[in-house]
Parts: sequence; C-alpha cells; structure tokens
Amino acid sequence: MSIDLVTAARLLDACSAGIVVMGVLIAATRSIGRAIWLLAVQGALLAVAALAIGLATGTTHIVVGGLATMATKAIAVPLILGRVLRQSPVRVERHPFLGPRASLVVAIVIVFAAAAAVDGAAFGGRLDAPNALPTAVAEVLTGLLIAMTRRKGLSIVVGLLVFENGIALTAFSLTYGMPLTIELGIAFDLLLAVVVVWVYARRMLTVLGSLSTDHLRNLRG
Amino acid sequence: MNELLVVAVLAAPLAGGLAAWGRRGRSAELVATGALGVAAVAALALGGLAFADGRLRAFGGLVVVDALGAALLVLTTIVAALAMAASPRYVRHEVASGAFRARDEGRYYALLLWFVASLLAVPLFDNLGLLWVAIEATTIVSAMLVGITRSPEAIEAAWKYLILGTVGVGFALLGTLLAYASSVRVLGESSDALNWTRLVSIAPSLDPNLLRLAFIFTLAGYGTKVGLVPFHTWLPDAHSQAPSPVSALLSGVSLVGALYALVRFHLVAVGGLGPAFSSTLLVVFGLLSLAVALPFMVRQEDLKRLLAYSSIEHMGLVTLGIGFGGPLALLGVILHIGLHALIKTSLFLSAGELVQQYGSRRLSRIRGTLVRAPVAGGTLGVGLILLGGLPPSGIFVTEFAIIVGGVVRGYALAAAAAASLLALAFIALAFHGTRLLWGRPVSGDVAVRTGRGMALRLAVPLLVVAILGLWTPGPLATALDAVRSVLGGSGG
Repeated sequence: MSIDLVTAARLLDACSAGIVVMGVLIAATRSIGRAIWLLAVQGALLAVAALAIGLATGTTHIVVGGLATMATKAIAVPLILGRVLRQSPVRVERHPFLGPRASLVVAIVIVFAAAAAVDGAAFGGRLDAPNALPTAVAEVLTGLLIAMTRRKGLSIVVGLLVFENGIALTAFSLTYGMPLTIELGIAFDLLLAVVVVWVYARRMLTVLGSLSTDHLRNLRG
Repeated sequence: MNELLVVAVLAAPLAGGLAAWGRRGRSAELVATGALGVAAVAALALGGLAFADGRLRAFGGLVVVDALGAALLVLTTIVAALAMAASPRYVRHEVASGAFRARDEGRYYALLLWFVASLLAVPLFDNLGLLWVAIEATTIVSAMLVGITRSPEAIEAAWKYLILGTVGVGFALLGTLLAYASSVRVLGESSDALNWTRLVSIAPSLDPNLLRLAFIFTLAGYGTKVGLVPFHTWLPDAHSQAPSPVSALLSGVSLVGALYALVRFHLVAVGGLGPAFSSTLLVVFGLLSLAVALPFMVRQEDLKRLLAYSSIEHMGLVTLGIGFGGPLALLGVILHIGLHALIKTSLFLSAGELVQQYGSRRLSRIRGTLVRAPVAGGTLGVGLILLGGLPPSGIFVTEFAIIVGGVVRGYALAAAAAASLLALAFIALAFHGTRLLWGRPVSGDVAVRTGRGMALRLAVPLLVVAILGLWTPGPLATALDAVRSVLGGSGG
C-alpha cells in the first residue's frame, strides 16, 4: 500500500483538524468517561496521520511509530484509564476550577491564538500541511489547561495525555517524527507512566477513598 | 570489552530487580547487593576507561562517555553503593514498625535497583532522545519508591512528583524535538542528527531561532527535574517522603542527572548562539533558586524537608556556576556536585536513623541528639556544618571558587548576591544544627544505639569531604580538570 505525499499531507491536515476538535471537546466535558473516549479518538487520529506519512515517504520507522501510537494512545492507555474509572465512585468532574463553558471558551481562544501565532512555514515544516503545527501548539496548551483546572486525578491525567499528543504532533509536523529507537523509547515510557498513574490512582482510592486531588493538601512549606 | 561493560551496567540491576521482586528478608538483600555490586564494578571500570581515553565509544557510537559522563557514572555508583549499604537496616526497621508490608521488602529492592539502572543510563547515550528516555524512566521508577509506604502523605508526594515530573519532562521532549528539527536541516534524516557529539560540532550552522526555543524548553523541562525555582514545588515533598536511602539518591544524583542533560543542551546552545544567551538564563534561574530556597530553610519544621530545600539551594548554586563559566567557577561546580552528593547522602541516612528512632520528622521533636542518639545526631550535626561550608569543608573551597569565578567573569553583582545568600543559608543550617544537637530533649525519648558499621558509613563520606577541603589528590585533580574542559566547551 502506498500513498503519494500530497495525499499524506492532506490527511495530516485533516487529522490535525480532528485533533483540535477533540481537544476542545475534552476541555468542555464534565464526564470523565466521555473525556477518555475523546482522548482515544484523538490518539487514533494521531496514529492515522503518522501511518499516512510513513507510507507516503516509505519510512519504516514512522509506520512502526504510528502502529505503536495506535496500540498505546488509542487502545492501551484509554483501556487502563477506563478501568480506573470503573473502580472510582466519582465519574464526573463536579467542581473544576474552571467550569465547562469557560473552558470551552478558553480552549477555542487557544486554538485561534495558536493559529495566529504559529506560522508552520516559518519553522520550515517538512510537509505541506499548514494545520499541523498550530494544532500541535494548541494541543500542548489545551492539555496544560485541562491538567491545571481539574480536580480529579483522572481528568488531570487526561490533560497530560492531550499535552503528550500535542508533542507527538509537533514531531510529525516539524520532522518526519523521531528516529525509531527514540519513538519506541518514548512510547514505552508513556505506557509505563500511565501504569504507574494507575497504581497510584488505586492507592488513592483505597487509602483516601477518592480520586479527588482536594485530599492532597497535607504537604506544605 | 566496552560493550560488555555497558551491558553489565544496565542488565545487572535490571535482572537483579526482577529476581528481588518476590523475595523477602536476607535473600532479597543478598540478590540486590550482588546485582548492584556487579553494576558498580562495571560502571567504575567504564568511568575509568573513559577518563583514560578521553572519550569511550561502544555499540557503534550509540554509547559515548566523555569525562563529564564518566564523572556522573562514578558519582552515581558511589551514592548508589552507600544507599544500598544503608538499606537493609532501614528496611528491616520499616517492616518491624509496620510502615512496609512484608512484600514491600522485595519490591523496595527491585525498584531501588531499577532506579539505579535508570540513573546509570543517563550518562551513557550519545543520543539526546535516549537521554530523555532515561531521565523520564528515573521519574517513573522513583515515583514508585516515593509512595511505597502508602501513607496519605507519601501518596500525595508521589502523585505531585509524577504529574509535575511528566509535564516538566514533556517540555524537555519538546525542546529535544526542536533541536532535532534544527539539525535535520543540516544533516538530513541521519540517525546521528540528535547525537550531542554531532550537534556540538555543527552548532554554528543550526537555525538560531529553533535553537533558542529548544534551550528554553529544555531549561524549563530538565530544570523541573533539577529542582530549579519556580519548577521545584514537587521536590521537597518527594525528597522528604521517600525512604531515606532513596532520598539520598534523589538529592545526590537524580538532580545531577537532569543537570547533566541540561548541560548537554547548554553546550550546543553556546556553540550555536554564543555564550551570552543560555549562560544568562542559567545565572538568573540559579540565583532565583538560591534566593527562594533560603526562607523555606530558615523557618523549616521538618528535618527531611530542610535537607530537600538545601538541595534546591545547592542545585541553584551549581546552575549559577555553570552560567558563570570560566575555568575557576567550573572547577568549583564539578567538585561541588560531588561533595554535595556525599554530604547529602550521609545527612539523609543520618536523618533516616533519627526519624525512625524518634518516630517523627519534626525538628521540634528531634532535639538533644548528642545525648539520645550520639552517633546519628553527631554525624547529622557535623554534616549540616560541613554543608553550610565551614572550613575545612570542601564546600567552602568550591563555593569560594564559584563566587570568585563569577567575579572574574564579570558577574560581580550576581556573585555578591550569591555570597550573601550562602552566608544566610549557613546561619540557618547552624541554627537548626545547634538545636538538634544541644537542645533540651523532649521527655520520654529512649536512647538510640547506632551500630559501628552504620556509624562508619555515615562518617566516612563526611571525612572525605573534610579532607578534600584541605588536599586534592593528583589523579582526582587530573580527572576534575578533564571534566572542566568538557564543561567549558570548545572555548574553555
């Protein structure tokens, strides 16, 4: 199977648009379960973009990287998060520091600001996909927004993963990803990090009885 | 030969960890000690070879260790050995007091070995991407160690460490990516486009805008792991909640590993942008860390948090010194990192003894230790004084070198500010130290006996620090100078 470079670039552009929409929707939802679903879709879009570029340029390491992305970000990580969610008594982000409507507005502002501020051509993007780099920057910021304004541990982790997706997209839009060893190393680290988060989420549930970070206020000064 | 050593350094602790996981008591201790012993011998041999050759290569250039990397390897090995030696006593006490469950014993040794493996991996790779992978691995594994007791505080500390560490290191990945983007344009998609050996040599032809952004992101990213203010908020929690031997590794070498990564980017930035840009940033963040850590040390109520804030202070000083540059300050920086690691290791282990025996971390509870716990109290008191930089502590010499080096390089104002902050920090340490040693003991405390072996382990690092303040052996001076010439870049 092969795709030509123009189609691949267009696919990357289209996936970027989808990734932005997912980011905004994640920022605007209260339901943690829905956020995990949206995150899985975002991961899948990222993987599709990577696979398209890899097949178009005939670069094996990007194809492998795309498959690894699919396996971890679209499947394994959402499954783990979903498992934690099923064990948790709280499924909804009830009192975030920034409500869903305000988050929606801020997320949209971030998207426009990123589009205005980042001109892909100025960084000499490798593919003719003008959406990709602004999207990447927007996702990095949206991820931080989500991680900083939520109280529930799981929502914070979802924010971090959106942030990670932004970084991965930066890699695809600036260069054709990273060399394979590094891609695999990063994917492995990510999976490991989520597993450790899982372990701690379970401990928080058993010891503190909740996943709310409001209980984490003992260490000061 | 080199290949074999590299494999031994990484595989021995990884395999040893797997073997130790399900074990308990003596058998877990033996497996862990054996695995660490093999890794230590291999790491020291690698370090020695690297120092002898100037630059050691293995696996076709995947692994490159220069004098700077070799120094980090040796330092990591020494601190890991000290932490391992102190672990059995610490763990047995935690099991007896109920803080560890029985199966946590094997897990502790397994995680400790994996933590050491990840720390030893940091200076091995030529590739900045793999360096990132190693640093991220240190965060993940040590977060498991920080929360091993499952107390609410430990879980809180581990959670914060994990989240902030991941965000921070994420920024470092972004910086690494930007560096790659800048070098791909010069080198094409070659596999060595992220190797620091290559990047330094082609630095002048890299895109300055990308390089500037890359350094800013790595400064924020690895700066989080170094504990630079304002990215430091996880550090006092994690370092105070971790088991004490792990605290020693965290403060003594984990911070330095991240600093090593930052220095690699700094050297590329200096090559591509000239010394002004990244050096100024390092001076600013170093000074800020020194200044912010101080008030938290003065009014600190928790013994291990006091030590943690002091680590922020010392990392700030070291970062400042790297920003100053110049042979004098850099020589001071290198020796300072080593001495700080030795003192902090001894201090955290002494603190661990005291905290276990007094059943409290509070400085208002741990008093009059000269009567109640003369050995651990004594080493803690002496360690605090040495850490403050009272002669003959080697810290006095290194701090002096960094300050004077700064003045020589034209940073007189920053150097003066740093000198005053260091003097105030000394007063804070002396204040806490005297109350700890001579303060009136709280009634009801029992006398504590620390065995002779443990006493030796606590005292020897301090003795080394004091001796190095008076006399530097020839081979050490040669090694320090080799590291200095790497740190100084081409112009140093």
